[in-house]
Amino acid sequence: MIQDKERKAKEEYEEKKELVKKELDYYAEKMQEFGLKSMDRFLEYCPNPSKYMQLGITFAHKDLEIVAEAIADHKPWAVISGLNPSGPLHLGHKAIFEELLWMQKQGADIYIPLTNDESYTVGKTKSLAEARKIAYEQVIPSIIAMGFDPKKTHIFVDSDYPDIYNVAMDISTKITLNKAFGVFGFDKKEEGENPGTMFYRAAVQVAQILLPQYEEFGGPKPTIIPVGIDQHPYILLARDIAEKKGFIPPAEIITKFLQSLKEPGKKMSASNPESCIFLTDSPEVAKNKIQKAFTGGLFSAESQKELGGVPEICSIYLLLKYHFLSFEEIIKLKEDYEKGRVMNSDLKKMTIKYVQDYLKDHQSKLEDAKKNIDKFLLKTPIRSILKY
Amino acid sequence: MKLRFLITQKGLVLQSPTTEEILARAKSKKQKLKIFYGETYDDYGNTIDSMKYYFFVSELAKTLKQEGLETDPIILIADTAACRNVSPDLEKRYMKLGDDRTDFVKKVNKIYDLGLRILRMSEYINTKEFQDKREKIIEICKSDSGLMAAIEKTVPESKIEEERKKGFMYSFDEIATIIDLDVKIGPPREDLYDNIARELSRREKKNPLMSLFLTPSFPVGKNWAYFFSQEGIEDHGITAYKAGSKRLQEFRILPGLTKAEQAKSLIDNSFISLNPSLPNPVLDIGIICEMARRNLKKEFIQINLNDEFYSEKIKPTELKKYVYKALQEEILSKF
Repeated sequence: MIQDKERKAKEEYEEKKELVKKELDYYAEKMQEFGLKSMDRFLEYCPNPSKYMQLGITFAHKDLEIVAEAIADHKPWAVISGLNPSGPLHLGHKAIFEELLWMQKQGADIYIPLTNDESYTVGKTKSLAEARKIAYEQVIPSIIAMGFDPKKTHIFVDSDYPDIYNVAMDISTKITLNKAFGVFGFDKKEEGENPGTMFYRAAVQVAQILLPQYEEFGGPKPTIIPVGIDQHPYILLARDIAEKKGFIPPAEIITKFLQSLKEPGKKMSASNPESCIFLTDSPEVAKNKIQKAFTGGLFSAESQKELGGVPEICSIYLLLKYHFLSFEEIIKLKEDYEKGRVMNSDLKKMTIKYVQDYLKDHQSKLEDAKKNIDKFLLKTPIRSILKY
Repeated sequence: MKLRFLITQKGLVLQSPTTEEILARAKSKKQKLKIFYGETYDDYGNTIDSMKYYFFVSELAKTLKQEGLETDPIILIADTAACRNVSPDLEKRYMKLGDDRTDFVKKVNKIYDLGLRILRMSEYINTKEFQDKREKIIEICKSDSGLMAAIEKTVPESKIEEERKKGFMYSFDEIATIIDLDVKIGPPREDLYDNIARELSRREKKNPLMSLFLTPSFPVGKNWAYFFSQEGIEDHGITAYKAGSKRLQEFRILPGLTKAEQAKSLIDNSFISLNPSLPNPVLDIGIICEMARRNLKKEFIQINLNDEFYSEKIKPTELKKYVYKALQEEILSKF
């Protein structure tokens, strides 16, 4: 009986370790395939890298050099990071916005397109209006509540900034259908694939990326897009078009998205509410989600004490790593976790407290944030492409 | 100063033969031990980074003299090499620039009492002795595909076809120049020539030259982002003796040209890090200034600036102030 227990614990431990290895191999393989560089050199030289870079959450880049020069020389540069509004933001989004906040502190102008057109065309919402409503009522207030500077933050909801469609038209002649099919793999029979999604992905999305380089925003300048590694081909397309338009090809940094609470290797997703903690969740709901979350621990406390846990795939440890502990604290926690000095129950207890405190604080700022939406909205008309 | 201290000086010497190897070579020779540093130039001026090599050749010679050993410390101005890849109408100008560089070395030699022998390539390249030596080297290399491959590697990819047409004469001149030397001081990137020269000496059963590499040189006035963008700069730096290396002439200290105010601004705006594996142009200039000081005062004591900085006894801002003052006093004011 005891031997069975030991064997089972070892198997569980090995399985979890294997998941970690699989993830590491996947990223290493993709980095090589896409010719991406690791952040190591940046970490050596940059006097104040972000916490996410130091912790290896932002782990690779392409062309970060041009952005680094803009940071160091105090020259204009911009970040573009959009999302499709289909529900409230969750802690996975918060991680991306934390990285954007770091970039803003380094001098970046932040452009946040809220793509209600995409939400609708891919079927995440029933109407453009629904996605638009979510953008204004839930997403934008949450973004503002995170502490962005209105002077350097430019948010727009695609439907309410139709100039973006003119920009999309402007660049669309630089993309062949062949290229677009190659990058996005449109499937004629797939549900949710329609002329709208095609136009959005192949033209509007690129227009959003190149927008800060149009005359109205000061012309060509270094730009960067934080993405997940699977989005790299989209950036390549944007780089290609940037060159054709006489713009500076956008750089990218690759970030590991916050893991789902339910399944290792998957990211937090609003479409699976149990996988994420929404910034609008009540303390009780958040507590329940954390209590049911997947961990890197073993089935018995005894085994975990003996073999240690596997923090890299523990959704609770990752919540603490991404959001609540300092660099030094997380290094210490990782070691304790691996050596079996930390139990899941303690970890969950600690995390519940952190998450509830954060949600309480965040939610308390939302009403005030709603009053300030107008200060953050991009309204600049794009006329340069219509001149004759 | 003890030889051991000189050749292990942190922040100055990157790689060196051992004390025993140098002493054994010096003692076994009937002639003087040949200590050598050779350089070309461009038309942007004379660099402080070259002075590091002049000082070091001199100090190595002086240190060995204290041990009772005779040396021949040579600084070669490779004027013929500098002219080899320029158009005939520019050749005259480049030979004139060779005069300027020679005058600069003479001036440094005099101000700091270095006791160097200054030689120009044009003085010996057409002698029968040199041409015979070069012919022999060419013959050996052409009959050995491994050696020819190594010769090709001394040339940057972009220039390989051009050099092939010229029979790799630049490389053969370089090898014929260094093959009979004892200790060759240089930047680490010269290893390719040195290895071929050593291989040829081994085949001829002669004493192979010993390479001593000083730390690479870096531009001043450049921030962290510049160094981040230049992958590999940690290993090779920029060309010490060419002010216009990588078009960075505005970011070099050029005695006689750089004004005090300019030097201050360059130092103040330089990248500086407590990580000893990263470039530290300010510390590098500081060490050159310390070498200048010890030659002026004839007090050959060990330079501790490297250790003091990396053990955080001196803060980065203090180092910048200290280096600017030393630069002004020991070098810029003398030109």
